[in-house]
Amino acid sequence: MRYVKWALWAVFWLLIAAFFHYTLPQRDIVRITDTFERRVDFGENSIFWAKADTGNASGTVNRDVFFIQSIRENGRPMVYRNEDTGWGWPPYFKFDTNNLQTEAADLRSTSADPQWVAVTHYGWRNEFISIFPNAVGVRALDSPDVTLIPWFNIIILLIFAAICWAIRVRWIRFRERRIDPVMENVEDSWDDGRGRVSGWFASWRKKK
Amino acid sequence: MVFAFVRLALVAFVVMTLAYVGISIWSRQVRRRKLKRAWEEEGRPGDRADYVERGLDDYDDSLRRKLILLIYILPVVIVGFIIYLVNFM
Repeated sequence: MRYVKWALWAVFWLLIAAFFHYTLPQRDIVRITDTFERRVDFGENSIFWAKADTGNASGTVNRDVFFIQSIRENGRPMVYRNEDTGWGWPPYFKFDTNNLQTEAADLRSTSADPQWVAVTHYGWRNEFISIFPNAVGVRALDSPDVTLIPWFNIIILLIFAAICWAIRVRWIRFRERRIDPVMENVEDSWDDGRGRVSGWFASWRKKK
Repeated sequence: MVFAFVRLALVAFVVMTLAYVGISIWSRQVRRRKLKRAWEEEGRPGDRADYVERGLDDYDDSLRRKLILLIYILPVVIVGFIIYLVNFM
């Protein structure tokens, strides 16, 4: 029973962690090799794609999506999609997809003469279900050796931890005040009852 | 665009209104409890109900009560700030 409880909590916190890892912004230091757009037919991975650009018709089966191709600092490729989040979830309120594509195209460079760029994005890259992180902003860097401190994420996670702590403290206090005394009562009467029953058994034995 | 915006605005308005009403009631209760305690500590001057009523009237005009309106203002300011940050900076 204890292991079941642990497993349930582990799954719960894994889901929370996955949610934050997907939703919170992250910054990659990359070199943009090219930008392109391509028709995408959304299938079972459609939850990992945004809706149509704000103002365009919604509910279409497929549409053109902007992509930004890049090589990371460690030499590995990374492809971002570039889509409006609009007024929906996650709350980035991004409407400047076309401007961002223009900026990204402007920052293209070759491996011979690299122009390093910090790409702010959210989401995951997964090759098996063809999903891409959504780029939110690009910023040119002088050199790839910069330390980017995610202040925004630190603040959000601290606030979340504070809320969890507040709920936990209140729950423990509630249990000590309301539930534990009741359980003790039950246990007491259980012990009394058992005493009586075994007493009755004892008397029955004596008779024999 | 309009539909998505209206949906967000409606949901946000409902949530903020719930928060506003809830926090208003809670804050008034806290104030009432503090007034009762203050009445006892001051040596029980006059009728307790009158004392509490007068204190709550003062609270109704106070800045502290008007600060609860920030529940409506802050999210709108934050969203406006994010829109500026993401799209125009």
